Amino acid sequence: MLNTYNNMLRAASLHKRRVQGATLLSILGAIVQGIAFALLFPFFTNLLAENSQWQLYSIAIIVLVIINAVLRLIESDFGFNTQMEVGHEVRIKLGEKLRSLPLEYLQSRQAGDMNAVLSSNVQQVTTVMGGLYSIILQTIIAPMTTVLITLFIDWRLAIALAVIFPMGVPLYQRMRNVAAREHHARTEALATVSSNLIEYTQGLEVLRATRQVGTQSVRLQSSMINLRETQMTATDWGILPNILMSSIVQVGMLLVTMLGVYFALGGTLEVAVLFALIAIAVRYAEPLSLFASLATTLDFMEAGLKRINDLQAIQPLPVQQPTQQLTQFDIAFEGVEFAYAPENEGEQGEQVLNNVSFHLPAKSLTALVGESGGGKTTITKLITRYADPQEGAIIIGGVDIRSVEQQDLMRHISVVFQDVYLFDDTIRDNIRMAKPGATDAEVEAAAEAANCHDFITRLPDGYDTTVGEIGGSLSGGERQRISIARAILKDAPIVLLDEPTSALDTESEVAVQRAIDRLVEDKTVIVIAHRLSTVVAADLILVLEDGRIVERGTHKTLLENNGRYAAMWATQYETRRWKVYNQ
Amino acid sequence: MTVETSLGAQPEKELSLWEIIKPVRRQIYLGMAMSSISGIAWIVAIILLRPVVQEMLEVEPDVVTLLGLAGFILLAIAIAIVLRVNSFAWSHRGAYVLEEKVRTQLTTHLAKVPLGYVVSTGSGSLKKILLNDVVNLHAFVADSTPLLARAYAVPLISLVVMFLIDWRMALVSLAVLPVGFIALRFAFKDHATGRAEMEAASEYMNNTIIEYVQGMQVVRTFDDGTSSFRRYSAALTEASATMRKWSEKSKAGAHVGGLLFTALPTMAIVLMVGGIFVANGMLDVPTLLLFVFIAPTLPDSFIPLIWLSTLINQSGAAAKRIGRLLAVPPLSEADVPESPKDGSVRFENVTFTYAGRSNQALENVSIDMPEGTVTALVGASGAGKSTVARLIPRFWDVDAGTVYVGGVDVRDISSDDLMKQISFVFQAPFLLQETIRENIRLGRPDATDAEVEAAARAAQAHDFIVNELPDGYDTKAGDRGTRLSGGQRQRITIARAILQDSPIVVLDEATAFSDPENEAKIHAAIAHLAVGKTLIMVAHRLSTIQDADQIIVLDKGQVAECGKHEALVAAQGIYANLWAKFTEAQGWGLRRSQRHLQEVD
Repeated sequence: MLNTYNNMLRAASLHKRRVQGATLLSILGAIVQGIAFALLFPFFTNLLAENSQWQLYSIAIIVLVIINAVLRLIESDFGFNTQMEVGHEVRIKLGEKLRSLPLEYLQSRQAGDMNAVLSSNVQQVTTVMGGLYSIILQTIIAPMTTVLITLFIDWRLAIALAVIFPMGVPLYQRMRNVAAREHHARTEALATVSSNLIEYTQGLEVLRATRQVGTQSVRLQSSMINLRETQMTATDWGILPNILMSSIVQVGMLLVTMLGVYFALGGTLEVAVLFALIAIAVRYAEPLSLFASLATTLDFMEAGLKRINDLQAIQPLPVQQPTQQLTQFDIAFEGVEFAYAPENEGEQGEQVLNNVSFHLPAKSLTALVGESGGGKTTITKLITRYADPQEGAIIIGGVDIRSVEQQDLMRHISVVFQDVYLFDDTIRDNIRMAKPGATDAEVEAAAEAANCHDFITRLPDGYDTTVGEIGGSLSGGERQRISIARAILKDAPIVLLDEPTSALDTESEVAVQRAIDRLVEDKTVIVIAHRLSTVVAADLILVLEDGRIVERGTHKTLLENNGRYAAMWATQYETRRWKVYNQ
Repeated sequence: MTVETSLGAQPEKELSLWEIIKPVRRQIYLGMAMSSISGIAWIVAIILLRPVVQEMLEVEPDVVTLLGLAGFILLAIAIAIVLRVNSFAWSHRGAYVLEEKVRTQLTTHLAKVPLGYVVSTGSGSLKKILLNDVVNLHAFVADSTPLLARAYAVPLISLVVMFLIDWRMALVSLAVLPVGFIALRFAFKDHATGRAEMEAASEYMNNTIIEYVQGMQVVRTFDDGTSSFRRYSAALTEASATMRKWSEKSKAGAHVGGLLFTALPTMAIVLMVGGIFVANGMLDVPTLLLFVFIAPTLPDSFIPLIWLSTLINQSGAAAKRIGRLLAVPPLSEADVPESPKDGSVRFENVTFTYAGRSNQALENVSIDMPEGTVTALVGASGAGKSTVARLIPRFWDVDAGTVYVGGVDVRDISSDDLMKQISFVFQAPFLLQETIRENIRLGRPDATDAEVEAAARAAQAHDFIVNELPDGYDTKAGDRGTRLSGGQRQRITIARAILQDSPIVVLDEATAFSDPENEAKIHAAIAHLAVGKTLIMVAHRLSTIQDADQIIVLDKGQVAECGKHEALVAAQGIYANLWAKFTEAQGWGLRRSQRHLQEVD
């Protein structure tokens, strides 16, 4: 538990002192509370002895109650603010972290996973920090204080009381383990239900057609039954330990009380002390018996904390010293070998590039062609230093990109891909992202060049329309043109381009094509080409297959070679002449 | 007075939560009953302490009486513990059964509402209700109901006992509570609006995080994340500020209220006043002790409810959303359903407006698609192509006019029957996380393996399934390491449709694929699928539909032109214009000069 606390302090970093302060306050509060209960001993002794000193003790108790209240007031205020500020700070730090994480790591994670770390894991940790921890402390420290004082009143009873606590420990350990296992099983069962529910809603038209809906949807139903059974089993398993845990404390208290009665009957204990003991036992019995279930929540927080720390621990790709600036923009791959990071430790990552070498002069146009999975996208990713190759080097303008600051590298590269991400912000700011200092005029000029000025001005608030307001009503082509406008505004010397697909309707396609024409003027361009007809004018075409460059040349020389490219060209030519048969 | 209302919660929320637990009310009521009895047993154990105290004050305490009392107390405690643990076990069991029942109810309902509702709501939002909101019920059903029962039973019994024994001390015991209630009331004065603000702030924060994380994966490819980080940090700061403001406003009352609802203050007052009574001979010691034991049970019962109130409110909100989904009216089913007579499709003066939009998606559209013909739907985006395609399987009901399938109004066909008539192939292929074989078999669950493979062959999928996938047909789609390209996924869905063998096939931009070789194969697959079928296709790539029996050109929700490719091109209308653009797009190439162009064509 101390360990958990230290981990928590580390997470709080800047606010460490405040968390410590809050802890101190709640410990003080608990001690005061423990003393207040212990004062029941002299209170009853004096009251029964008809000694007017009892008034003193009852006033003392009231004073302690007030002190306790004040301490808790300060502490809970402190706790809430700390909780918020630590949450804020951790989220900002994690946000910063995301900016420096290796892209490979960033993109290999499910977005949902990472969201969970930033939102719910942080929440779990701060909730414990902000209040739960102090409740747990109070539940345990207040009784301990009382027991300590009892030592001076009657050591036999104090020891008997003290023995109750350790009795629960092995059981508590067991409960912890069960809770962890339970949690794991439940999470897994819930994840299956989750993905089946998504499937169900996405595939509803197919499922309806084959009547596999409602109770007939076998997969979904069985996963839900499994979830129910997993949870039921967990509940059933929990019954006995829970009963035992409560019994240890409550029956234990009863036994101590009976021991007190026995002592009193034997004349070795004042009846008044016995009465105070009973009052104390009644008071502590229930909170203590619930302690175990409270403490298991610490485990969840520990798990959340671990995920936060794991994310924090990931190092950005190192920049080789001395760092260098990019001044020229020809691109070379020298014997590049690349495998993706394995999904599990000890496994071999999937090899995606084998001994890839090429040199692309500045301002040249290079096309990457070949079947999907051949390595086209990986090449463009490595240029942005998505990850470092296992062998070989990527050289831009004579400089190994490993010795360039990531920010500097990205400043010189524009990427236009098919999935366009727009922030829920105005169209203007979405374009301006590419060059934060750009004036409105510059933004509009870029939009005009990207063929989107017209449709933007037709939006309800023009450039100031927020993306959220119009939501899905931007077509794929329009979104694509906004991303091209970004790239035009950025005006980077290197352009990485994923050719727009035929998923666009005809009018959008023409508009996007024209926008691209403007973007690529005078740039070093690498394009992932799907339709070969779009890259016949390329200075260099690289044909990739299974991570190797199997052919290279211009459209003309490659056709003359009569190899892989020529075959692809022939198939595509056929495709374009395809029609619906319906005999 | 219930704590619920004292905290300012809306009564109707509670109502809908109680309504939602109806299917498992037996378990829940059992849990609540156990919880109440457990609380009462605990009070009985406490009351039995009074004779113990009395006996101890005798000059010669009777050991047998004491042992007997101890036995009864032990029994009461045992009952209290066993019932308490079991009450939670029952409420949890009820909650888990309820989860399953509510989900089944929701998924069954989803199968009856217009598919259009499902599509336009999106699987993300639906998942939120089906998964998270159902989970959110747990806080109420499993965690709160036993405590709720106890919060009524325990104070009630203790009050009765206290007033029966000594009304003056009973009043003293109650002294603190009203102050606590008033403080809490004060704290939650603007509870509803404050809560709403807090919730909005926290939702805003969560959305910001999601946007930041999702965006970062893309943004980092063109930016170092500076501008998106600025947005992120500004949004977080704003959310924190809102929360701080709310806490400033409500904290004093909440804290005072929270503090008074603990045992200590009540006990201190009982000791003080009780001490005075005892000293003046107005009260005996056993009774004082009884009140010291019993009075704190009042605030004790309320504490968990204060803690749980946020969760209960969350459950209430979840129940509301679940209720709203269940309230979406299902598609009407005909009393006497008719069966389609053939594979034709006909639109007669169809007018349709999407819910919440002002402009008509389709206006007075009439199209005749005879059995066995190919109809292509073209037009700019938003012209109504997809709407036409989706009205055929009755994603929505038309506002005016009629859609006929096989000569029968779709509203007179049972929805099962209608679905069997139509195969639908979408742009985004849907695969279950199941084996490829099961994914294809989904088209006809009773198909043999041989039939599944025949369909895969016809869909041009057999080769890659056997040669490229680690376990052939038994490879799970979506498993790690099995990366199916979009084109491959599409061919699997086409195999499914081939197996389904419905007389009518609707393709919604099914041919739009980036990889040209896959595209050729998809086209071949569609050609197989279309044999002998009524084929209706929404197409962007005009080259694929030149041989269609009829091309319907839609413009702003109306049929603008209709005819065969050559005739339409010759007519110099919208289609001819689209065709010209299409040809231009096909001829485009990066940095491609005119000279190059001539060379290629």
